[in-house]
Amino acid sequence: TSVTVDFRTHVDQSCRYSEEFVNIYYDCMDKKRRNLTRLYLDKATLVWNGNAVSGQDALNEFFESLPSSEFQLQTLDCQPVHEQATQGQTTLLVVTGGTVKFEGNKQRFFNQNFLLTLQTEVQLI
Amino acid sequence: NRKGKGSNKGRSYDRSRRDRQRGSQSGGFGGPGPRSRLEDTDADVTMSDSSQDNSSQHRLKYDKKWLLPALQNICSVPFTAVQVRFCANRVHFYVDESSVATALHKCTHKITDTDGYKVIFYIESSCCLLFLSQQCMAKRFDGSQQALDLNNIRTDPDLVSQNIEVVLNRKTNMEAVMKIIEENIPELTGLNLSNNRIHKLDELTNLVTKAPNLKTLNLSHNELKSDRELEKVKGLKLVELWLNRNPLCDLFKDQASYISAVRQKFPRLLKLDGHDLPAPIGFDVETPTIIPPCKGSCFGSDEIKVLILQFLTQYYSIYDSGDRQPLLDAYHDGASLSLTTPYSTQNPSRSSLGEYHKDTRNLKRIKDSTVRFRLLKHTRLNVVAFLNELPKTQHDIASFNVDVNTFTNTLLSFTVSGVFKEVAVDGKSRESTMAFSRVFVTVPAGNSGLCIVNDQLFIRMATTEEIRRAFVAPAPTPSSSPVPTLTAPQQEMLTAFSQKSGMNLEWSQKCLLDNEWDFNKAAQVFTQLKTDGKIPEVAFTK
Repeated sequence: TSVTVDFRTHVDQSCRYSEEFVNIYYDCMDKKRRNLTRLYLDKATLVWNGNAVSGQDALNEFFESLPSSEFQLQTLDCQPVHEQATQGQTTLLVVTGGTVKFEGNKQRFFNQNFLLTLQTEVQLI
Repeated sequence: NRKGKGSNKGRSYDRSRRDRQRGSQSGGFGGPGPRSRLEDTDADVTMSDSSQDNSSQHRLKYDKKWLLPALQNICSVPFTAVQVRFCANRVHFYVDESSVATALHKCTHKITDTDGYKVIFYIESSCCLLFLSQQCMAKRFDGSQQALDLNNIRTDPDLVSQNIEVVLNRKTNMEAVMKIIEENIPELTGLNLSNNRIHKLDELTNLVTKAPNLKTLNLSHNELKSDRELEKVKGLKLVELWLNRNPLCDLFKDQASYISAVRQKFPRLLKLDGHDLPAPIGFDVETPTIIPPCKGSCFGSDEIKVLILQFLTQYYSIYDSGDRQPLLDAYHDGASLSLTTPYSTQNPSRSSLGEYHKDTRNLKRIKDSTVRFRLLKHTRLNVVAFLNELPKTQHDIASFNVDVNTFTNTLLSFTVSGVFKEVAVDGKSRESTMAFSRVFVTVPAGNSGLCIVNDQLFIRMATTEEIRRAFVAPAPTPSSSPVPTLTAPQQEMLTAFSQKSGMNLEWSQKCLLDNEWDFNKAAQVFTQLKTDGKIPEVAFTK
């Protein structure tokens, strides 16, 4: 028998996971860029300002080619994704917003969102 | 001390050949001939003390007076030492015939110094001769390409036949080669050092300054053990590099980390180990500064595009209609929705986003789990009830940008961004334009439609640029100036900025626009650009 977690607990957990995830993600993005692709599943797709990048190799190259960054996270929201969409695989929708300064560019606002699938570690679809 | 047991072959040069070469531009070298300044550095024969004592006292022992006559006595070939140099416990003296060098070498261990130690001769090749050996150079230096090929130079028949040994993993040999390059072919663009058992790159460091045009470097098939060796030459602006068949290649877990480690040191690199790399992006700086250009919607496929556009058209026509109740059909029973606005210290009642601020769910600012839970609207009834309370809107569907995040058999998630106007309901003329970013997670619905399971909405004020580009359909009243109408405070700011900067109104406005009407920021940016000389004259013509 499967254990059904009540919705409230689900939401609480999602919030905690998402907070932890974004800390790791933006820390990697700013300081350990090479580790970033470890957070992505091999079949993950990133769409960045309309540029689609998929697969670990392409993701690696993409992140290497981005200038060094300084992200300031200002907003964070998270929802557990309904199981009907995920066939039972626990998934979170994480939405972030804030400002980012890429080296050589002026500071801009950004919005970003992630779909996280919880496996043994947090991964990104 | 190295005791060359006959493995080092001296090389002297043939004086007659030197004469032929002097001052000539041809002689096997294309392009400008290398300058011959090699009279001084010829074959050298080094003597060393078998006692291995490095004390400077030894210097005194090698007094020309007794040594040279002693040598003359036993050496099979008469010679004149062109130059004698004493250093530490060695004596370097220069002879100009390879046969002499060989003969001297044979004298090793045959002379006993005043302390009773045998004098050992060994010969260091100084590679200048490599240079002068026309045959060898002619085939290895391509003047038209300014490229020098020293691949496996140790076995080169032209050198071997003259007993000239060029062993590049020896410091002195490599130093000599570098010196030749510096002094004679400093415009070198390509250098091939492959297959020379090289394990260190210390001697190549000066190439960075002495051969600044070097773009291609081949270090393949050597003994380099770590990519840290490359640090010694990382000032080179290499475009092509060969490192394969070095132990260092095995240290990387995959191709990507190998390439990335190499590229960190040589950001301009276009080709590694013969393979093209994607073009690096950036200017003359070490790190990239260009971010990928912003492209439009990214649907992934035409079918999905049609599906989503159809969905959005339907959704927003209801959303903007004044009654959002029919949206119940768009949402799944167990749907969730939440709203986020940017953090603002502004009094919510005075902000155009006030209506949205009170329901903002921002986990960075709200830590109480009950509040967090309450702010998440759950079940479609709650979702739609909430949406119905939000201000009436008018969305500019033409401005929408859609990016598909992911899709599977059971899930289609996409992000929509665009602008909308808040429609003034009660005659108040204040009309705000807002920008939004909305993530929809949907499941397939019966009639080839979509059903929303998760809906996350982010709303902020639109930027001037966004406002200008939005709602283009109703044509603005034609005016002589191409600029959009400004508010009174903006007009004031513009006049002040134009005065202070000296730029005309058009350029002042552009600067202010680019900096979100932040006067101080715009002023800073302007000052920096001006110092960098990046502002064209035309900006100042009134």
